[in-house]
Amino acid sequence: MTAAGFGSPPAKQRIPVDALQAALAAEHTAVWAYGLAGAFMPDKLAGQLAEAAAAHRMCRDGAEALLIAAGAPPVPAEPGYLTPEPVTNSASALRLAVIVETDAAAAWRSVIERSPAQAELRRAALDALTGAAVRAARWRATAGRIPLTVPFPGAP
Amino acid sequence: MPDSRPSRRQVLTAAAAASTLLAAGSAALAGCTSSAPTAPEQPDLLQRPAQRAEADAALAQAVALGHPALAAAATALAADRQAHAAALRAELHRVRPSQSPASSTPPRAPAAAPADQAAARDALAAAVRAAQDEAASLVVPLPGYRAALLASVAACCASHAAVLP
Repeated sequence: MTAAGFGSPPAKQRIPVDALQAALAAEHTAVWAYGLAGAFMPDKLAGQLAEAAAAHRMCRDGAEALLIAAGAPPVPAEPGYLTPEPVTNSASALRLAVIVETDAAAAWRSVIERSPAQAELRRAALDALTGAAVRAARWRATAGRIPLTVPFPGAP
Repeated sequence: MPDSRPSRRQVLTAAAAASTLLAAGSAALAGCTSSAPTAPEQPDLLQRPAQRAEADAALAQAVALGHPALAAAATALAADRQAHAAALRAELHRVRPSQSPASSTPPRAPAAAPADQAAARDALAAAVRAAQDEAASLVVPLPGYRAALLASVAACCASHAAVLP
């Protein structure tokens, strides 16, 4: 997605602040998690890793800008996050990558579900959801995890 | 109702509960009022995505049978597209219970897979791209629950395109 996809909504536009804050929190988590996971992934995955981290920074910045434009103070990043399991090697790093993409997909799908039929916001959220689903599938493929896809990315 | 169940991180705060409930309420009401997504005589916007999902599932099954090298990807695609068809049919049926939840079109002839493996792979890639585009185009105009369903369909199709062998 491009940063431009997150253009400021018109003044007083109703946006789903709660859902966007949750999406922003998921993006903070993803940016942090890729920093950790990167330390345990082999060099050959550096490109895939950098691409994923850059995508999440862009989504994070976009969500922040939307919240600021709506007058809602964006949730800040935590200093650190608890991972579901200790990340100690490439396999656990890949599992963490799939988890953060799965969580990001859920957060952005919720933005779509709760937003008014406003083109810019829904398209930006769809791009974020789609990107997360694609990255999750690629990480599963890298890890050799079958199935590679889920039928409804982001669905609860 | 899947649209009324908040995910674990969507804890409602008192401050935002009003706007959230408003959004959830309008989504829930969409199928129960006279201002349903479509007027009675117009085809429901989910009809075409549902038919496309069924056609894609049939194509993927045929490819899986004819091309062992594509069998794993095609079988997974067939399963996901079948799940899309079922979810879309369920939503169509919810809004118009008079219509059968099954396909309203006559059963189509079994899909034929291209004999050439590269052509079969290209056919799958074209199918998921077209499905992604169609579903994505409906994410903006539809009410919340349907928009989210189509968004997941679009994202799933994009993920298949990304990992096709």
